[in-house]
Amino acid sequence: MSEVNSTVKYVPTTCPYCGVGCGLNLVVNDGKLVGVEPYKRSPINEGKLCPKGASCWESVQKPGRLTKPKIKKNGKFVDATWDEALDLIVKKFTEIHKAGGPKALGFHTSCRTVNEDCYALQKWARVGFQTNNVDNCARICHGPSVAGLSLSFGSGAATNPFEDVLNSDLIVLWGSNAVEAHPLAGRRIMQAKKAGIPIIVVDPRYSATARLADQWIQFTPSTHIALANSIMYWIIHDNLQDHEFIRDRTKGFDDLKKTVEKYANAEDIHGVPLDVVRKLARQYASAKAAVIVYCLGITELTTGTDNVRSMGNLALLTGNVGRPGVGVNPLRGQNNVQGACDMGAYPNVYSGYQACSVPDNRAKMEKAWGMKAGSLPDWYGVTLTEQITQCGDPIKAMFVLGLNPVVSYPDSNHVKRSFEKLDFLVIQDIYWTESCEYADVVLPGTCFAEKDGTFTSGERRVNRVRKAVDGPGESKYDWEIIGMLAKKMGLKGFDWKSAKDVWDDMRACTPNMFGVTYERMEKPESVHWPCPAEDHPGTPILHIGKFSAADGKGTMFGLEYRPPAEVADENYPFTMMTGRVIFHYHTRTQTDQCAVLHYEVPESYVQMNIKDAKALGVRDGEKVKIKSRRGETVTIARVGTDVAPKVLYMAMHFNEGVNNLTNTALDPLSKMPELKHCAVSVEKIKEGK
Amino acid sequence: MAKKGDMLYAWTNDAGLAKKAECGGAVTELLKYALESKTVDAVLAVKRGVDLYDAVPVIVTKAKELDACAGSLHCGTLLLSRIAAEYAPALANKKIAMVVKGCDMMGILELAKRNIVNLDNIIMIGVNCGGSVNPTTARRMIKDVYGVDPNSVHKEEIDKGQFIIEYEGGHKGISVDELEEAGYGRRSNCRRCKVKIPRQADLACGNWGVLGDKAGKATFVEVCSEKGAKLLKGAVDAKKLATEPANPKGVEIRAKVENAMLKLGDKWRKHDFEALAPVLWETIAQETSRCMKCYACIDHCPVCVTRADKFKQPDMMVRHGVIPADQMFHLRRLAHISDSCINCGQCEECCPSEIPLALFSHAIRTEADKLFEPKLGKPAYTN
Repeated sequence: MSEVNSTVKYVPTTCPYCGVGCGLNLVVNDGKLVGVEPYKRSPINEGKLCPKGASCWESVQKPGRLTKPKIKKNGKFVDATWDEALDLIVKKFTEIHKAGGPKALGFHTSCRTVNEDCYALQKWARVGFQTNNVDNCARICHGPSVAGLSLSFGSGAATNPFEDVLNSDLIVLWGSNAVEAHPLAGRRIMQAKKAGIPIIVVDPRYSATARLADQWIQFTPSTHIALANSIMYWIIHDNLQDHEFIRDRTKGFDDLKKTVEKYANAEDIHGVPLDVVRKLARQYASAKAAVIVYCLGITELTTGTDNVRSMGNLALLTGNVGRPGVGVNPLRGQNNVQGACDMGAYPNVYSGYQACSVPDNRAKMEKAWGMKAGSLPDWYGVTLTEQITQCGDPIKAMFVLGLNPVVSYPDSNHVKRSFEKLDFLVIQDIYWTESCEYADVVLPGTCFAEKDGTFTSGERRVNRVRKAVDGPGESKYDWEIIGMLAKKMGLKGFDWKSAKDVWDDMRACTPNMFGVTYERMEKPESVHWPCPAEDHPGTPILHIGKFSAADGKGTMFGLEYRPPAEVADENYPFTMMTGRVIFHYHTRTQTDQCAVLHYEVPESYVQMNIKDAKALGVRDGEKVKIKSRRGETVTIARVGTDVAPKVLYMAMHFNEGVNNLTNTALDPLSKMPELKHCAVSVEKIKEGK
Repeated sequence: MAKKGDMLYAWTNDAGLAKKAECGGAVTELLKYALESKTVDAVLAVKRGVDLYDAVPVIVTKAKELDACAGSLHCGTLLLSRIAAEYAPALANKKIAMVVKGCDMMGILELAKRNIVNLDNIIMIGVNCGGSVNPTTARRMIKDVYGVDPNSVHKEEIDKGQFIIEYEGGHKGISVDELEEAGYGRRSNCRRCKVKIPRQADLACGNWGVLGDKAGKATFVEVCSEKGAKLLKGAVDAKKLATEPANPKGVEIRAKVENAMLKLGDKWRKHDFEALAPVLWETIAQETSRCMKCYACIDHCPVCVTRADKFKQPDMMVRHGVIPADQMFHLRRLAHISDSCINCGQCEECCPSEIPLALFSHAIRTEADKLFEPKLGKPAYTN
């Protein structure tokens, strides 16, 4: 790029919100962010942005950012120098490691920060303390996708790129409201619609995405497995399965066949009429290329992993994996939820999913990281939420990079009690969060607009993040802080000068990303991993010819329907579902600072069926109180027909909102809490109250 | 002595620049002279970004920086008037020069009517524009139709009705008509555009009608204002620029090229508008029913200037937080811009919901222009 000294500078970078990874230009004037402009050169979104992306600059240079390291002294936080803060961390972590061993420490990294930070943190944990107690927050969003797709296909990642839906003959969106949660992936669905590709949306709610569909299939909340099994029963009954594909590329068909025999007619469970199920079965199995796109409607349930595997079952039964226009694609929620896992910020794998349990892998990493042979641990580290439970015993010290566990992990009170049991807690963040109160040291990091690096999107494309402005005050790059800590401990291999140095460090020991260089990321096409060599073109579509599993096969599973942990009853007669709105991201810490987003949705609301509203005497716009066994919330009723009678829907973005109600029962396979389903009661708030 | 209405060939006296720039480098030389002579404080220009599909606006204050901005980028679809309005407050009360294609020029004129920019402070150096191609469309087209790796292309131009690429190992031209029949080519608003020579700029420059030994070595300049004449004269007097009267045959050919482009614009209007005519309401209703309310059509529109208190207004027909947006979200905008849509296409190109917004507003303005006169501004009352 020819450098021109311009007073107004466009910095092409990657949107910090969802996992689509849209390109955008941050506009800088005199060291200040002044706007976002389209990056039309990006093949991902072609300059188009959703309301969040278009306003993402507004929350960066706002008051409230951390600007100096802080140390808690006598119960009060005081400003400290970097040396003071880092020396203290090194001293404490070393002491605790010495006394309690590698299992006395825990490390958490955010899925929102760049790959380089995630790699740096896990490398420091493993090299400095020989621990695998390192995890990231994918654990509590798409954990079931990683678990389920790994079991079905041998890789936990989406199989096909977003744009590839345009090569399909049938698009099935199941538990995904892409238009709101992943708007620029939703745009690809809109393009497909315009091109005449049939679209079926399977969702209990008439969402913005369901409105696009040629057919909206409404089903009873959380009955995915029963519905998928019915569909597969009819595919097999009508002999529409892909015999050749099943024979050559899969195993487990007999197990599946036997299980689905019980689901010939499961309308009682899922509520979809038999003729609709049969038609859907025929349509999905007969399409030359059919793709399933799913999201948290599938994962955030106690059956999350099995729901994901049911999607895998459908695709394997019909040969819809491993070519253009097909596949099973989870839409990843956070900008770098793919990357954080890819970087090895995970308790059982190094970067590129190299298992820690394999002696060769450990030997290789020990060599790459300049460690003594036999020093890396073989044990499965403790997962994110389990680390919280282990606070105090055996975990005594914890390092949390870019997360606010007190608010965002399940069961806030449990997290607070656990943090109080720690001897030493470090929080590295950009804002002062609720969790900081529990820390001993708080370090100021930098946000996406203030550092170079990379995010890996939900289509496994590694997108460049470019520094537009300096971080506030004495804040530092997050990988730089980790490097300083490691160097203070006398560790070698942390002498990075730039984000690219960290990336190259990772690349050198990660075969499936070795070919993804910063040079190749200069152009916004970048590269989809796996990409083992610098002249390898990358792999937009997975599982062509062979699955990623060790035996090369895809696996079908016979899976039984199980009801949610808590179902509606006499006292709590309504089913509460949760989701997202297009105008906000997670807990709104960023989006509510953007004028247009606050204007559109300043407060929470509940969607309610007109029949229920009538029975309760509630009119549109009136306040209602909603209670569950765990708590209550007051919100505004939006009355209509988007949800079925006895079903309610709320977005998850608001404090003291729907998460006062949600259930914390866990999916046994992935530890995902059942955020999408709980039983509640509703009452109208009388006037004057 | 140049004066309004003059038609000239012009080229730079800087041999280095002539080599780097296209068609004699007159435009770049004029911009450099505008800075050097302190006629302006800054220049808003466009440079090549990561490759020739990436157009990046820059605001520069040093003449030497402009060398990097020489040359055309047909795959750049920026609207510079927006950038001037949005980011030039930094240059408030300063004078700027900018290179404008038809839509940029129209955008600036509309902003001036709305007191967002002051024309006294702006020198517009117009360049002919037959239309631009969206960068990702261009790359797809080069890959699928030309069978060439878009990364290997180092030069593109539109000449004699063809989109021509030069790449490692050859060059290839395909007629724009053929590309557009196949769904590629220029943006649809560009196809309908009839401002090919921006004569309401201060100077209108281009390569149409440059003949004989000057072909490819000089720029055709039509002097459109006294401001333009003064800048040109200054550059000549300072021995930066050389000129000679345009060859009368060249003037004729330039008019012919323009006429052919205008006819093509009419053809596309007929094509697009006639298809819309019998299904207008339902098409607008259907297409806008996907709207995800990103506000890009408002934010990127040169004639949508929003009220400072817009976020304090109660909702009556456009409910907050509801998507797809209520119908009035679009109807009020189409009504607002009905007499001033410049058909720049930004609303449509930036729309994540694939709504053909420019088609609607351009059709409305074109039809309204045929019936109503005069157009009046904001009244003293509100009702």
